[in-house]
Amino acid sequence: MLVSLKWLKDYVDIDLKAEKLAERLTMSGLEVESVKEIFPEFKGVVTAKIISVKPHPNADKLSLCEVTDGSKKYLVVCGAKNIKAGDVVPLAKVGATIPGGYTIKPSVLRGETSEGMLCSEAELAIGEDASGIMQLPKNMKPGKPLEKALDLEDTVFDISITPNRADCLSVIGIAREVAALTGKKIKMPKVNIKEISENIKSLASVKIMDAELCPRYTARMIKKVKIGPSPVWLKTRLEACGMRAINNIVDVTNFVMLEMGQPLHAFDFRYLEKNKIIVRKSKKNEEFISLDGKSRKLADETLLICDGVKPVAIGGIMGGLNSEVKEDTAIILLESAYFNPVSIRRSARKLAMPTEAAFRFERGIDPEGVVKALNRATQLIAELADGSICKNYIDEYPRKIRQVKNIKLRLEQVRKITGTQISAMEVTKILRNLGMRTTRSGKGIYLVTPPAFRVDITREIDLIEEIVRIYGFDRVPASLPNVSVGELLPNSHLKLEDNIRKIMNGMGFSEVINYSFIAPASVDSLLFPPEDERLNVVKINNPLTEEQSVMRPTIITGLLDTLKKNINNGYANLKIFELGCSFLHEKHGKLPKERNMFASLISGKKMENLWDYKSNVDFYDLKGCLENIFYALKLENITFKSDVVDTLLHPGKSCSIFLGDTPLGYMGEIHPHILENIDLKQVVYVFEINTDILEKHLKDEITYRDFSRFPAITRDVAFIVSRDMEADYIFNIISSFKEDLLENVEIFDIYEGKGIPENAKSVGLRFSYRSAERTLTDGEANIIHDKIIRGIVDVTKAKIRGEENQEE
Amino acid sequence: MIEDLQRLENNALAELQEASNQEQILLIRTKYLGRKGLLTGQLRNIAQVPDEQRALFGKRCNEIKLFLTSRIEEELNKQSQNEKENKLLKEKIDVTLPGRAIKYGRIHPITQISNEICSIFSSFGFSIVEGPEIELDYYNFEALNIPKDHPARDMQDTFYIEENIVLRTHTSPVQVRVMEKVKPPVRILSPGKVYRRDSDVSHTPMFHQIEGLLVDEGITFGDLKGILTLFLKKIFGQETKIRFRPSFFPFTEPSAEVDICCVMCRGKGCRVCGQSGWLEILGSGMVDPAVFKYVKYNSEKYTGFAFGLGVERMAMLKYGISDIRLFYENDFRFLRQF
Repeated sequence: MLVSLKWLKDYVDIDLKAEKLAERLTMSGLEVESVKEIFPEFKGVVTAKIISVKPHPNADKLSLCEVTDGSKKYLVVCGAKNIKAGDVVPLAKVGATIPGGYTIKPSVLRGETSEGMLCSEAELAIGEDASGIMQLPKNMKPGKPLEKALDLEDTVFDISITPNRADCLSVIGIAREVAALTGKKIKMPKVNIKEISENIKSLASVKIMDAELCPRYTARMIKKVKIGPSPVWLKTRLEACGMRAINNIVDVTNFVMLEMGQPLHAFDFRYLEKNKIIVRKSKKNEEFISLDGKSRKLADETLLICDGVKPVAIGGIMGGLNSEVKEDTAIILLESAYFNPVSIRRSARKLAMPTEAAFRFERGIDPEGVVKALNRATQLIAELADGSICKNYIDEYPRKIRQVKNIKLRLEQVRKITGTQISAMEVTKILRNLGMRTTRSGKGIYLVTPPAFRVDITREIDLIEEIVRIYGFDRVPASLPNVSVGELLPNSHLKLEDNIRKIMNGMGFSEVINYSFIAPASVDSLLFPPEDERLNVVKINNPLTEEQSVMRPTIITGLLDTLKKNINNGYANLKIFELGCSFLHEKHGKLPKERNMFASLISGKKMENLWDYKSNVDFYDLKGCLENIFYALKLENITFKSDVVDTLLHPGKSCSIFLGDTPLGYMGEIHPHILENIDLKQVVYVFEINTDILEKHLKDEITYRDFSRFPAITRDVAFIVSRDMEADYIFNIISSFKEDLLENVEIFDIYEGKGIPENAKSVGLRFSYRSAERTLTDGEANIIHDKIIRGIVDVTKAKIRGEENQEE
Repeated sequence: MIEDLQRLENNALAELQEASNQEQILLIRTKYLGRKGLLTGQLRNIAQVPDEQRALFGKRCNEIKLFLTSRIEEELNKQSQNEKENKLLKEKIDVTLPGRAIKYGRIHPITQISNEICSIFSSFGFSIVEGPEIELDYYNFEALNIPKDHPARDMQDTFYIEENIVLRTHTSPVQVRVMEKVKPPVRILSPGKVYRRDSDVSHTPMFHQIEGLLVDEGITFGDLKGILTLFLKKIFGQETKIRFRPSFFPFTEPSAEVDICCVMCRGKGCRVCGQSGWLEILGSGMVDPAVFKYVKYNSEKYTGFAFGLGVERMAMLKYGISDIRLFYENDFRFLRQF
């Protein structure tokens, strides 16, 4: 909220410099976000009295004015007609600057020298009136700088008001706070109403149909008003606080709202049919055109202010175009009411009309301020629009607005929460300065009644906050808690993720973090088949953009996106990974399924910028990393299967990953169709696995197994098998022998080409035989080895490539 | 005769000095010490030496023989060393070519800062806990004393999935979930992603938060100040000036914003701190009794404090990053700097 320092000073004496005051307010909870000096846009303009006005000898439309600034006389040529001897007007002397950057110079107009310029409101950017020279009060002394004479300089604070401090949404509210902080007294504006004999109650009536939504509605009537622009002082106040001046009636309602925090509305009484105000809820789809000229369909439960026939305002939010104050308005019905905060908030949100009035009503206005503001505004309207105030005011008050009284406050509790030894005297002094009534009801126990405008204070803890806030947070001594020793809660998931990060780093992968929300088109581009669960995306009801409107069903999308962006920036060799959630919609009303995923992507050169190694990454580079992760995490029982393949992937270069029988994820080359879809031109390998499942299988304990100290015997054999035969198939045959002495089998060579028939390949296997108890003899090893080889040949129909390859 | 011996020795040494390879040294050996060598010849002629000099002559001959033998051996060794060295020098490689290694990866700066903060609080005895990113309205708002239709909801612009399901706007719901299950004392820290409908140079619709909660008997606002001061000095340095100022959060009362003296201008006022000299870094406060009521804690017996901070903001201040969106562009020119 913007608050003028000058305006504040109308209600409380302030000795502090602006910067210091800003700091005090900030340190007591009213955060001052900025302090701005405002100056008028002119310089060197003074007040001057007109001595005489004579016609210009050479021009009909100009006149020659003799003016004085009190010490010197000036001859000024002027084109305006609204001036006469005795008027006090602004004079821009030679050397003065006026808005638009003009500097006044001595000039000759049709043979007559002009020693300055008399200015209109518009020329000085004080107001919009350009019809003639600005008229200043006749009693104003000539020779004063205009900015001082009109008091146009000010300091404006931009204060961020937290939602609990509804009472500070007004200048008086802030002034009260300043008074409490500095120990000064608050000076409320004096209201003095002169009524005519005609009684409002014989002219108009108010009926509240829903006391829950409108517990109180008050109104006054002002007759014979003359609509016109507001005086400069009122305009500058409004403008300093960021509001535009409109006319004297509307400006007064805004002024009093800013001053006292009570939103008001002025109706043109001639448009109120049957001279009635009826406050009721809207019917569904009732239509209404508000002051901003927009036609709106209202939901039911919206509070409407109606006349005897039709709605004339949306209660607490905005008036209607049909009863707006116009240039020829003569009779004003002024409304000051209390509306239910929750109802106003709901309606304002539904209608998307966060007006100044709604903002204040939904936070809770001062129930005792309703009539005060009504009278204050009535008096100002009568003064500024020359109106006559009808006798009495209407006060429909069907339901008492709840006010909290006698909150029990324990001094001991104040000390317990704050950790201070604050004295009883200081506590009561702080509360008194905040306008609270305090009575002692026992040793260290007080009954406290907050003022009506402090709608946020209802409990002991609210009082404690007030006390420590004013006492000063800086005076609370910092301490370290005296806590009981307890066991830490487990967090194995974070630990697993941290482990993965370190392992991936060592293998050259960098971590990326992508948004959890993606574009629906990103999901489409992955070409999932209709039955794929990842099509059940979680949709955001109110996304910022279409690009971020669904929650990612897989975290691969972000990795592909990262690759694309980096290729565009000239970085085509990427090794990245991400740890994060993927989301799947399950059932309406139920939280979606969140799965913690770990995904990785490689693409481009195997080693970046290497001078002697030029090949690109392939399937086995990424598989090796994944195997290394499992090895580092000591996870056994992992299998890679080619028979179940994710549709994201190239059917010939992909596999599913299993932990025992549990599917863990997938890895492989991104399907060329998808690459084409997302406009990626280089081959990409990815994997995505579920870390929730990984975490469940992590084992902490390690059991040491003794190893054999006897030598091993190795035998190399190369089998010529069909090109399609997977290595795992052969390994499964070998393990089916359950041969204890066979310590290890590994692949030492895969060969296709010269010397090998078409559609076949040679798989070179190295077998190691070892006993835990003794040195094996060649003979013993050969018996087992031959049995295994024969087994493999029987099942696979493999041919053995060159028996002579055997060696010790 | 003795003089001849001396001359012979000198000549041999001079020749050795000149020799530049093994062959020449071997030739010298043959020339002087070989069977038909010069020194051997002298010895053979010992009979012709006069009697009174013979003993001395013989002695000198032997001395010179031993000396030359050892010098020649020495020279041979030296030459063989040199030749080995020369052979190695011919194998010289360009050591300035880049090494062949897997370039180490980087951890995202958000993760790094988050881990640093978590480990500080772990050392204070806080457990690290996690919770769902998509939350029930109840946990995200209601149980934190933010009822429906309350103006405090404006403080966090929310993404909705359904009427009662939201993308969490803070990690506080995790605290409620933990308090529902665990009786005091509670000391937890909940890091994670949070979401708010906001997007500009200093806001991204997704960001990371870390929130902490400590509940026990006798916890005071002074304790809140103590712990958070200790933490901020660890992160930003012992000299960091810190201030606590009153604010409002629906789930704490009293509530405090914590500011540190601007790290850019050291309090003089600059663009980063909006000329104030201070940077808002943490929100905190004493847990509101209304929150305790939701989780059935006795607020007469237990008190506690809670705090929350934005990880991106910490990282931006610590590394001098001015645009928050960089964290989610994953540009390698950005990532590789951390």
